[in-house]
Amino acid sequence: MSEVALLQLIGLIVVGLGVFILLFIKGKFLRVVGFVIIVLGGFSLIALSVPQMASLPPAIETFDITKVKTADDLASIGQKIFFSKGQCALCHSIGPSESSRCPDLNGIGAKLAPEFIYESLTQPQAYIYLDFRHGGVPEEYPARMPYINKNPIALSEQEIYSVIAFLQKMSGEPISIKVEDVLRESGGGEMKVASVAVHGTSSTND
Amino acid sequence: MKSRGTVENLQSWLPKVKHSSLSGWSVFWVLLLLPAFVWAQDAATQAMSVEYRDIPWIGSRNLVWIVAQQHLLLAGFVLGVPIFAWICEIVGWRSKEPRYDKLAKEFTKLLTSAYATTALFGGILLFLLIGLYPKLMAYLSDVFFPSFIAYCILFLLETATLYIYWYGWDALQGNKKGLHIFLGFLLNLFALGIMIVPNSWATFQASPVVLGDGTAIERAWTAMQNPTWWPVNIHRLIANVVLGGFICGAYAGVRYLLAQTKEEKDHYDWMGYVGNFIGVFGMLPLPFAGYWLMREVYQYNQQMGITLMGGFLAWLFILQAMLIGVLFLGANYYFWMGIAYRIPGSAQSYKRPILAMLVVLMVCLGVWMTPHSLVASLAEAQLMGGTHHPLLGVFGVMSAKMTVSNLMILVTFMSFIMYWRAGKQETAAWAKVAKAVMGALLAIGGIAVVVLGVWGYFVPAIIRINYFSVAQVLIVLFIMVTFTPLTALLMKSAKTTTEMVWGQMPIRAGYALVLNAVMVILLMSLMGYARSSSRVHWHIYGVMRDTSEYAYSPALGYAAAFMSLNTFLFCLLVSFIFWVATMGDKVKKGPEQGQAAEDPTKISGGVTPAMAGGAPRVGEETLKI
Repeated sequence: MSEVALLQLIGLIVVGLGVFILLFIKGKFLRVVGFVIIVLGGFSLIALSVPQMASLPPAIETFDITKVKTADDLASIGQKIFFSKGQCALCHSIGPSESSRCPDLNGIGAKLAPEFIYESLTQPQAYIYLDFRHGGVPEEYPARMPYINKNPIALSEQEIYSVIAFLQKMSGEPISIKVEDVLRESGGGEMKVASVAVHGTSSTND
Repeated sequence: MKSRGTVENLQSWLPKVKHSSLSGWSVFWVLLLLPAFVWAQDAATQAMSVEYRDIPWIGSRNLVWIVAQQHLLLAGFVLGVPIFAWICEIVGWRSKEPRYDKLAKEFTKLLTSAYATTALFGGILLFLLIGLYPKLMAYLSDVFFPSFIAYCILFLLETATLYIYWYGWDALQGNKKGLHIFLGFLLNLFALGIMIVPNSWATFQASPVVLGDGTAIERAWTAMQNPTWWPVNIHRLIANVVLGGFICGAYAGVRYLLAQTKEEKDHYDWMGYVGNFIGVFGMLPLPFAGYWLMREVYQYNQQMGITLMGGFLAWLFILQAMLIGVLFLGANYYFWMGIAYRIPGSAQSYKRPILAMLVVLMVCLGVWMTPHSLVASLAEAQLMGGTHHPLLGVFGVMSAKMTVSNLMILVTFMSFIMYWRAGKQETAAWAKVAKAVMGALLAIGGIAVVVLGVWGYFVPAIIRINYFSVAQVLIVLFIMVTFTPLTALLMKSAKTTTEMVWGQMPIRAGYALVLNAVMVILLMSLMGYARSSSRVHWHIYGVMRDTSEYAYSPALGYAAAFMSLNTFLFCLLVSFIFWVATMGDKVKKGPEQGQAAEDPTKISGGVTPAMAGGAPRVGEETLKI
């Protein structure tokens, strides 16, 4: 018997019990209890009659850094880090957005040198960063840039380089991060990155 | 590594004690306890690395689900009741009608007995979370610790204020009533704090902000100010009033069914009316607060909004529509029964408007419950020309749903106005003009809501969401805020043509009140599941992934069965609490009840006739009904 069928059976028994109470029990309070369980059982039965979809988590992707051959591979990993472990997309948008709380990163890889991006990620308070995108006095952004290489995000060196590679590629720039340099930094090994898909997968649960 | 270090430390320490008189014993004890010490260190290291613990058979998530739901529902009741208990007390104080003061006291009695149970479940929940989700709790403690302190202080203040407020009720009467009212204000102020601080923890999980460097207080404050914090605060504040009102209504409904004497029937009929009134009063603006919350969710993360409204949770909103629809029907039905049974002779004159309202409500409910996409076989889909039915598919979109929800609010509001005006005749010279203006406003407002709804199909979504939906909400709010004072003014000088009779409601009125309370509890459980599931496989969205075996969100049927179980448990718990709280009443039944029975019959001064359920006759100070 499937889970849904079992729950439907339980729902029917509960409704039946409620009907029995209303038909044969005289106690007023018990009759109210009977009424309540008919309502609750009925609600469960209706909910069981609509499509049953469970949301399953996506698999955790593991990247073997030693298998990275090209700069594009690195940028591809960087993109996944950008939207997952790096939490960059929590505040930054790529392209104009009403809800972003920090600078738009569209084309940032072309505007800034990789060394500057690295410094912005690891020493975010080194320069004053203000929002000049409106008239009048420039304002501070609502959210402050965290240290990306420290807790709680704590990206490793090679993960930061991967993100920079992604930012450069996304801006149409040639990727200046060298795969060999990244490999040397890591000494080989694995990076664990949660899948980019934050919405999960669904499956029928019938 | 750590244990080896410990051994080395001990070895370096040993020669120092060699010269003492107790050196032999010391060495003996150290050697004896050494393994235990080292093992304890290992166990501590191991414990620090535990991310999850499980409970056999029921599972950790299910257990936390049950306990958290009970705590949340109790907390909603405990935080909602003081709001209207305090308002009732003020009404009684200003109008000098003791029955309001008595009612406020009765509400507070229910509150005091539920308060300890709420705290108990809060404690159990905390222990379970620390034990079952140590990694998540360590992270949250690191971020929010200063707010934990603030919460504890608020809790102490709330408890102390509640004790003084409750135990000082009789002592602080007469010229000290002002002080008691001030205590009620403080009680609500601390209750608000108690609600919004934990809300920040839960909303941070759903809409976290990145935390920069700073002091612990700065980090906690940044985390608290996450995008969905205030929308949830406002939504919960209103929802708590609704929950509290309908639960008090259900309590009165059950007591009405169990009533043995006419006096009891009169009193609990009136209390049921007030409970339903409070529930409906809160319910009317609640969809607007929900709309604001969803807007903020979409603005924060479109993917999360899509998961809620168009993803695997889409069918949940059909169930939500059903529950809200039944709640609207139940609340209106209770009003209509009030017109028919409390105001004899009114049933016939209001038959046609009631029928029209029922038809509008049913049609609106049908539209609201129409899904966007239908589950259809290939053959059925080919017949329909797609997954969307050619006619019904039109009703599955947000434009239609926003329109009908506004119309249902409007109808419910008009039911209330109708009840208010039933059995009275306006005597003011400007009454005809006022009624004509109200009629015209209602007609124009209703048509405008429908026109904007239809127009919404032909404009981009962003225009509809930002302008049309907002305009619909504002139109309905405008009608509510103009009609209420106008009707109040009209009723102030109105002549009562039919006297109101309490305690004559049929048995089904008590059941209608219970049904409303069950619907609200189910709704809160359902939307709690929605909010939690919208985080999908994240403990903290995008920040801390759920890596436990319970990282999935269960399907709606399974979840609904759990919600029903939780609702039933909560109803049992509340029944038990109320039973315990009113045990003492039986002992002192005689004089107390005599007083209570007398009070509902006194309606004087024309103050807040809507809450009193009737208006006075002109020139009469006290009206026997």
